[in-house]
Amino acid sequence: MHRRSIGFILGFCLCPVLGTWAQTNAAPGQAPSNAPAPMHHHAQPEAGDCAGTDLKCATAVTPAFDAHNNLWIAWVAGGAVSVARSTDLGRTFIDATIIGRYGDLIDVGADAKPQLAIDAQGRAVVAYGVFKDKAYDAQVWIARSASIWAKEGPGFGAPRSLSADPASQRFPVLAFTSNGRLFAAWLDKRTVALARKQGRAQAGAALAYAWSDDAGATFSGETIAQDDTCECCRLALAFDARRQPVMVFRAIYDEHERDPAVIVLSSDGKPALQRRVAEDHWVIDGCPHHGPSVAVSSDGALHAAWFTQGNARQGLFYARSENHGQNFSDPIPIGNVARQPGRPSLLASGNNLWLAWKEFDGTHIYIKERHSSDAGRHWTNERIVAETDHAADHPVLIAHDGAVFLSWTTRDQGYRLIQLETT
Amino acid sequence: MIRFSHALWLFAACIFLAQTAPSADVGAIRPFDRDSFTQIRAAYAHKPLVVHIWGLTCGPCLVELPKWGQMRKAHPDMNLVLIQADEGSADAVEAAVEHAGLQGVESWSTRSEIDEFERASIDASWVGDMPRTLLISADGEVTTLKGVVDPSVIARWLAVDVQKAGKGVE
Repeated sequence: MHRRSIGFILGFCLCPVLGTWAQTNAAPGQAPSNAPAPMHHHAQPEAGDCAGTDLKCATAVTPAFDAHNNLWIAWVAGGAVSVARSTDLGRTFIDATIIGRYGDLIDVGADAKPQLAIDAQGRAVVAYGVFKDKAYDAQVWIARSASIWAKEGPGFGAPRSLSADPASQRFPVLAFTSNGRLFAAWLDKRTVALARKQGRAQAGAALAYAWSDDAGATFSGETIAQDDTCECCRLALAFDARRQPVMVFRAIYDEHERDPAVIVLSSDGKPALQRRVAEDHWVIDGCPHHGPSVAVSSDGALHAAWFTQGNARQGLFYARSENHGQNFSDPIPIGNVARQPGRPSLLASGNNLWLAWKEFDGTHIYIKERHSSDAGRHWTNERIVAETDHAADHPVLIAHDGAVFLSWTTRDQGYRLIQLETT
Repeated sequence: MIRFSHALWLFAACIFLAQTAPSADVGAIRPFDRDSFTQIRAAYAHKPLVVHIWGLTCGPCLVELPKWGQMRKAHPDMNLVLIQADEGSADAVEAAVEHAGLQGVESWSTRSEIDEFERASIDASWVGDMPRTLLISADGEVTTLKGVVDPSVIARWLAVDVQKAGKGVE
């Protein structure tokens, strides 16, 4: 009895140590597999413990509504990119489809969410980054469905590379204009690679874009809009009343200052305007991993929200431009600066604006929101929309049928679509 | 009854061994969770320690990592612990660590992109920017370097702090 107890206890005790040993020794020379390598976690169940491709294992989810009141989501879990449909506002999902499996090569940081866009005719496009070499160069893949309403299911085709350029591409964003053109933008390393070849040092990445007039079947006019962008912060995209893309992103100024910038692209492909949104002076030779958000209200004002740790200001900020990006208002601090406010999501519907963000007080993560009914001139006090004490995605605001929702996924509560009070 | 308490003692000893095993088991990539940093601090208590946090998908981090391989060669006595804080398999982390000439260095990795709770276990004010380096003196004082480091700063700190620590470093 005594011996058996000790044997049991020793076995129990050695398990974590041996587990680590076995995993390490299995590593060299193995090809990347679709199944993530097992790793031990002794603490509370978190993202790392969930290994499947199901939605419940997703850490980043992107929502989109179609014209038939279906909520579609795209997510990455277990190395696979998947989509599914909900007919009950996110309570249950059906028709889950795996778009592609990439194992550890999928770019899955929370700022690198898979992208999903659906046009009025039910044509859908999914885009995401996949690493392709040991230097962590990536490629943007897109998959499209000619009709997500087809009787036999959405039938996404085989993913293909968005760009033919061999340089690294990451952080795609895409959206349809109101007249059905598809715009795609991403962070691109081709000019950085060229500079390196020529013996010049060029920091970060470049902002690249292309248009598609056939819902993603082909893209044309691939252009580098601007060099010297941060290489690891998501891009934010909205359209103005003339259907011109308005993008807010993190740019690099004076070599190491990573501050928010705006670019408006005219439909002839040329940048119509490029400006720094704020002089935060965030000096860092590193990756903030923290992109901004943008919205355009009916009055034509541009709205930007971003995070900074600059010398001039630190925290989450909002600013608006009444002259189409020429100048922005003084940045207004958002949220409780002691609680790491960040990960903003702006949404405009007419002259109503909503801003949601994430905060963390050491034990809880909160999603808070503020609302403006006069295009950002005045805002309601903040209120808490949702909270968790587990790992959680960044918030995404989405509008549908006159209502505004928070789309959010957490490790303990899974995916949720939460309607905001609009009073 | 005696056997039972004996077994309990063994169990406690095993838990202790399992908790402290990481610092003895140099070379493996260890899963980093909310409790790991406390373990790291405990394992290097009263010794100067350099903790370097990097990410597999962070370009500046990958460019910088071989510098740490060189610094380790130049300062073989440096207590160095690496924490990879992006999504990434143990295989990928190990490959990058080896490529940078850092094989054998105590190395930890989050399984998913580091979350708020894990970040707070290291520094309550850290918002997730990478790379960053913590210079922890023998008396526990932490100096945080944000972004890519200047190796001469590390060398100076090591010279001063190791002297201060006296026998703190073998």
